[in-house]
Amino acid sequence: MFSKALFKQSMKANWVKWVMATASTCIMLAIVIIVLGNLGINNIRDQLKEVFTQADQQSYLKTSSIDSYDLYLNAVDFENGMVMLDESNMDMASLLWGYVTRGYDNALSSYQPADPEAELTEEDYEIIRNNAVDSVYDQIIGLLDMFPQYAEDFNFTETELKQLLYFMMLTYEDNPDFTGGEATNEKVISAIKTRFLDYVQDNAYATALSQEDATEETALASAMSARELASDAFDSYDDQKASAETDGGTFVYDNDNFKTLANDYVNNMIYNQVLTSFTLGSDGDLSEEEQAEAEQMAVASKVMSNTAITTYEFWIKELTTDEDGLPLDLTDEQLAQAYAQAREEATKSITDQIDAEVSKALEELGNMDIYSLIIGSIFYRIAGLLMPMVFVIMTANGLLAGQVDSGSMAYVLSTPTKRRTVTVTQMTYLIVSLFAMFALLTITSVIAVWISGGNAFAINYEQILLFNLGAFLTMFAIAGFCFMCSALFNRTKYSLGIGGGVTIFSLVCTILGLFGSTVVPSAMRISAMNFFNYLSVITLYDTVSIMAGSLAYLWKFAILLGIGIVCFIVGIFRFDKKDLPL
Amino acid sequence: MEYVIEAKHLTKDYGDKRGIFDLNFSIKKGEVFGFVGTNGSGKTTTIRHIMGFLKAQKGSVTVMGLDSWKNSCEIKKYVEYVPGEIAFPDLKDGNTFLKAQAELLNLKSMDYANYLVDKLQLDPSANLKRMSKGMKQKTAIVAAFMADKDIIILDEANTGLDPLMRETFTEILLDEKKKGKTILMSSQSFDELEQVCDRVALIFNGHIIDIADMKDIKESKFKDFKIEFLSREEYLKFKRLKYEVVRDQEKYNQVTIKVKDSDVNRLFRTLKNYHLKFMSEVKYNLEKYFKSVLAKEYLRQEEELKRAKEKDISEKTKAEIKQEKHENKLHAKKVSEEEKSEKFFNKPKHKQEKRENKKQIKEIKSIKKEVLKSDRKYKKIIKKIDKGGKDVQ
Repeated sequence: MFSKALFKQSMKANWVKWVMATASTCIMLAIVIIVLGNLGINNIRDQLKEVFTQADQQSYLKTSSIDSYDLYLNAVDFENGMVMLDESNMDMASLLWGYVTRGYDNALSSYQPADPEAELTEEDYEIIRNNAVDSVYDQIIGLLDMFPQYAEDFNFTETELKQLLYFMMLTYEDNPDFTGGEATNEKVISAIKTRFLDYVQDNAYATALSQEDATEETALASAMSARELASDAFDSYDDQKASAETDGGTFVYDNDNFKTLANDYVNNMIYNQVLTSFTLGSDGDLSEEEQAEAEQMAVASKVMSNTAITTYEFWIKELTTDEDGLPLDLTDEQLAQAYAQAREEATKSITDQIDAEVSKALEELGNMDIYSLIIGSIFYRIAGLLMPMVFVIMTANGLLAGQVDSGSMAYVLSTPTKRRTVTVTQMTYLIVSLFAMFALLTITSVIAVWISGGNAFAINYEQILLFNLGAFLTMFAIAGFCFMCSALFNRTKYSLGIGGGVTIFSLVCTILGLFGSTVVPSAMRISAMNFFNYLSVITLYDTVSIMAGSLAYLWKFAILLGIGIVCFIVGIFRFDKKDLPL
Repeated sequence: MEYVIEAKHLTKDYGDKRGIFDLNFSIKKGEVFGFVGTNGSGKTTTIRHIMGFLKAQKGSVTVMGLDSWKNSCEIKKYVEYVPGEIAFPDLKDGNTFLKAQAELLNLKSMDYANYLVDKLQLDPSANLKRMSKGMKQKTAIVAAFMADKDIIILDEANTGLDPLMRETFTEILLDEKKKGKTILMSSQSFDELEQVCDRVALIFNGHIIDIADMKDIKESKFKDFKIEFLSREEYLKFKRLKYEVVRDQEKYNQVTIKVKDSDVNRLFRTLKNYHLKFMSEVKYNLEKYFKSVLAKEYLRQEEELKRAKEKDISEKTKAEIKQEKHENKLHAKKVSEEEKSEKFFNKPKHKQEKRENKKQIKEIKSIKKEVLKSDRKYKKIIKKIDKGGKDVQ
């Protein structure tokens, strides 16, 4: 079944082609890997990626600035309410507390959940709270109608009052017996204030946790800083009030007056946060250089925060007042919408300002792995296959069809050598030569990867080995096909025409299909071109799957192996039975 | 085992009358068997069947009792082969090729190969691609003969060799023959076949027309002599004697006569009284023999073709006439019926049609005439060839 003499003869006839194909492919591969590994071809990509991360960071910074700013102003408002309750002629807080507890109890007992058996959920409680708030609010408005003399002290807007009532509900819900007996004005006020701070803290924690790459630690820190901010806002209200009253004047509350304070406060907070993050990032000790950089970053962040808040204010003004600066007549819903729009405008980053599709394309470009594209999809599937293909097409033809066509096969077959021996020997030669070629290619690629930094390189050893295995299996399938054509036809023109034609067609289809495949960023991709991938056997060599680490490449490898084996067997059996014009 | 190579009803039809048809021949051990035939007559196809490269459609070839298709590997133990088309494997030079071939043949010693190389004055270190046709042929001969097997099959092995080398090659073949080897060779050179072969088969259009025994030809009991006389009187006088004249060239006072071996003395006695310019024996050889056979075959085939054609045409004509008559009858019937209703218009039309029919019949007749005429011409040609054939004999 195997003739050593014939094998030697095939080696002598084809070694030049083999050396050419192997050497050129090895050189190409080494250059590709080493050059890519040392040029830092991913720099541009990294920069682009940095732009996107920065944009994200900026957007986050701006959002948190505005959040803090809103919170500050809200806290000041809240404190104003508390002060109002405190300074009213009658024990207003204590009075309201009575209404609130009764209202809440009523709402709770009258609430009919969808499923009476189940325990009440947070959503159920939210409904109960709102019901209670509405009924208590109605009662208070009724009372004020009856006793107009109190309305002077009770200077709340509907929203403010409802918010106040809501917090009282929360307080009552958590701790119905906090007063430990009589609910005095002072006790109630301090309890609500504490509950407000708790609420702020919980909210900030939840928001921080919902962020990408948030940790427990950072969430806790931002929750604490939110609580601190609210409490500082209370203090700043008290300071303002006190300083206004020391000169014997009266303090008239206007939320607008606190805007500058809030802005400054938030700016400084951001500045400090950025500085601290730098200190935490390093191990405590910052070099002078690092310190300078931290300072620079902190100042930049501060400016950005200021800009965001100013923009926010500008947009609020633009959206809620008319040309003369008078407030427009807006419903609550419209107002909320205006605020949301203002916030959106203020937190816009670079990426938000460009078209969504372009932005996506740019982001994809940033995420693209140029190494796997060039080494995997371009070198191993196209450039690196070309020389082995030429070798296989020419050699496979020369091993059988060429010798039959020229007639030189007669010399082999006029010796006691079976046709089966000839085909098996020639097949062995083709496979062994391919195997040797890819063994050398594998060694070259492993060395090149080692030079480029080993596993630290964009493509690790395992992936590069799989690339080589895949390329070998692809060539195995192609060699099988070319061998089959060589065994089937007596004429070189048919064997070369069909074997070589289909092979080169596959390669060209892979080149065209590349422009439709997902490895190419969408900016350069023409998805219709993906059609060509269905026409090429090389598509079964799935470099994307290898890079992604999924196992889809395994069954495709199996198919390639199968194609090769079937073709070789068909070729061998057919050659046994056909007429040879020798 | 009586026969070394035996073909029975061997048939391979490539269509278009090409291929080989129902070949039967057998070659005894130690016999040298030749194939002659025009290009494309089927010599190589037959040899390819013997080598087991082609599968017969009908019949079979056996070599040493083994079916050459089924046991194509087995029979190679006995057969060495010089293919008609010389194309060597893609190797560097003659030496490499011969060594590779020796390896495939499991040859231990290259002594016989070296002897052949010397004898054929071959330089095997030359580049295979740059060899002249003769060099290649010599290399191919050495590659085949060095195995020293019992059966040698040669497909036009002496083409490309210079005349001296042809002689050397013939010597080698005779040596092999002496060793008791069986040789099957196809050749264009009658000389070579005459010198080496015991029997020669003539293949024509895929059929074996004749197998000639060289003994019969060589030991023919008749001899042809060409005689030119100095004077016309003597020439005419000689012609009056009752010798069988094969060829007469009055212009040169030349005559070729056929004489029985036993009558040679009588001829010489006769010629004693004549003044001759020259006299030579015209050898009766294979070439002449086959030319005559071939001429007969041509004749036979062409006659056959002729007859077939004639038959074809006459049958066709008969059928056509019959058909037309029938149609006319039908038509006439139809017309007569129509006439009754539309006398005026149809009558002339009917006549015209009749005239056309007549015309057609005339045409057919003239074609027939022409065919017969060409037939006569043909017969003349045949006669001429006949004469030529006699000439040869």
